[in-house]
Amino acid sequence: MDRWVLKVARPEAMATDNKINQPLKELHELKAALDEHSIVAITDPQGKITYVNDKFCSISGYARAELLGQDHRLINSGHHPKEFIRNLWTTIAQGNVWHGEIKNRTKDGTGYWVETTIVPFLDDTGKPRQYVAIRTDITQRKQAESEILKLNAELEMRVARRTAELEAANKELEAFSYSVSHDLRAPLRAINGFAGIVLEDFGSLLPPEGRDYLERVRNGGKSMGQLIDDLLTFARLSRQSLALHRINTSRLVQDAWLELKPAVNGRLIETRFGELPPCDGDPVLLKQVWVNLLSNAAKYTRGRTPAVVEVGCDQIDGDQAYFVRDNGVGFDMQYANKLFGVFQRLHRAEDFEGTGVGLAIVQRVIHRHGGRVWATAELDRGATFYFTLNRQKT
Amino acid sequence: MSDNEIEILLVEDSPDDLEMALRALRKAHLTNRIQVARDGAEALDFIFGTGAHVGRKVENGPKVILLDLKLPKVDGLEVLRRVKGDPRTRKIPVVVLTSSKEQPDVTECYNLGVNSYIVKPVNFESFAGAVAELGMYWLLLNQRPQG
Repeated sequence: MDRWVLKVARPEAMATDNKINQPLKELHELKAALDEHSIVAITDPQGKITYVNDKFCSISGYARAELLGQDHRLINSGHHPKEFIRNLWTTIAQGNVWHGEIKNRTKDGTGYWVETTIVPFLDDTGKPRQYVAIRTDITQRKQAESEILKLNAELEMRVARRTAELEAANKELEAFSYSVSHDLRAPLRAINGFAGIVLEDFGSLLPPEGRDYLERVRNGGKSMGQLIDDLLTFARLSRQSLALHRINTSRLVQDAWLELKPAVNGRLIETRFGELPPCDGDPVLLKQVWVNLLSNAAKYTRGRTPAVVEVGCDQIDGDQAYFVRDNGVGFDMQYANKLFGVFQRLHRAEDFEGTGVGLAIVQRVIHRHGGRVWATAELDRGATFYFTLNRQKT
Repeated sequence: MSDNEIEILLVEDSPDDLEMALRALRKAHLTNRIQVARDGAEALDFIFGTGAHVGRKVENGPKVILLDLKLPKVDGLEVLRRVKGDPRTRKIPVVVLTSSKEQPDVTECYNLGVNSYIVKPVNFESFAGAVAELGMYWLLLNQRPQG
């Protein structure tokens, strides 16, 4: 017999000389350990099984006698394509080690997965004399893997479905704001316009009370128009994708203030705009933020002499926090949580005009930049609005 | 008044907006030669001398077209496309007057070669002012290319 496995299987029959026995003993122990861990089989060059260990028998469900002398294809599962099997045989027939994962079949037809190493042993002429295959049962791992694959596929499907739903919802929203802007503005224009025409053409025929009421009709129409515009802006800012750029914040603030100039025309406002560090964000959206914060500061300092609007940047909790501070009427901090809600107002319309959308827009834009926005104030002693932009450009 | 003397073609389906626009033009003394079309098909008939306007020469087009976008039958974008797509009418200034500020509309209009895009203000004075200014600008100030 030239199979070493059989030789070392009978160590007691070996010579008693320790010098010879010692390596044999080690070999024996190695084999015992291997048998504990692995599924082992040996075939001849044609693939006929010449040796199997106990693990092989137990996992395949065959008795040793049913295996020995049989073609190894007995346990083929048919799972792998012909190409795969051919590649295996070509590799080992050329004397190379093959390593891979194979699905085999037990006697009762169940599949099991083994991680396999097949080592060819060659004869003197360099032709394979026999193949030793050592395998590890990986059935559970394969099952877990396929479970994960299945779950992943399901997840992907759900994500795809969800994305499609969101896209549809977005489209709907777009169609909705479109029709709002078209359809609601037209009748408003009529209400507003004809009230104006009556005032202009027939105002002198009306008693003062009548003119006043008509004026109220126009003002109502006007503020509803503003409301619709603000809401549409709010909706647009929410769905528009961010175009991130490095921004010169000082210049952005200057631009925003210039844009407000016409609205605060004639008022004396002292501006203290400090040097501001640059930031990363969407310039169009962030400009809207500055315009809204600055116009609030200008609005709520009305009546102050001098009105002071200060812009700066502080380190707060490790973040760069920009702020806009004013010496205006401020607000009661117990209502601070309402500040950023849509249509929420902390002042009466006859004191300070507005639709209650400006700060909601600010918050939406800042959140979309991964930042936060908050305010501190005291009634009649000014307010400070802070915001951070956490999204860093790498 | 013959068709050939028309200076302003006002395409507007809303009777309210129409009345306000006409009044604004009247106040700016620009009323003498206005043709009104109440939908896109009517506008195209007038511009290209078809339908009710058979026999009108395309070459004697209006000096300016004030065009609403949302119109019955043929919408404003299609009217714009036809006017700007025909060598005989391409040079007529078209001013789109719409209540929509939505970006796709604006972009589409400029792609089609609109000369101005005006969002109708809700505010009455601005609306009247805008219409009067438009009429004034395109009729009196703007130099049209010859031929």
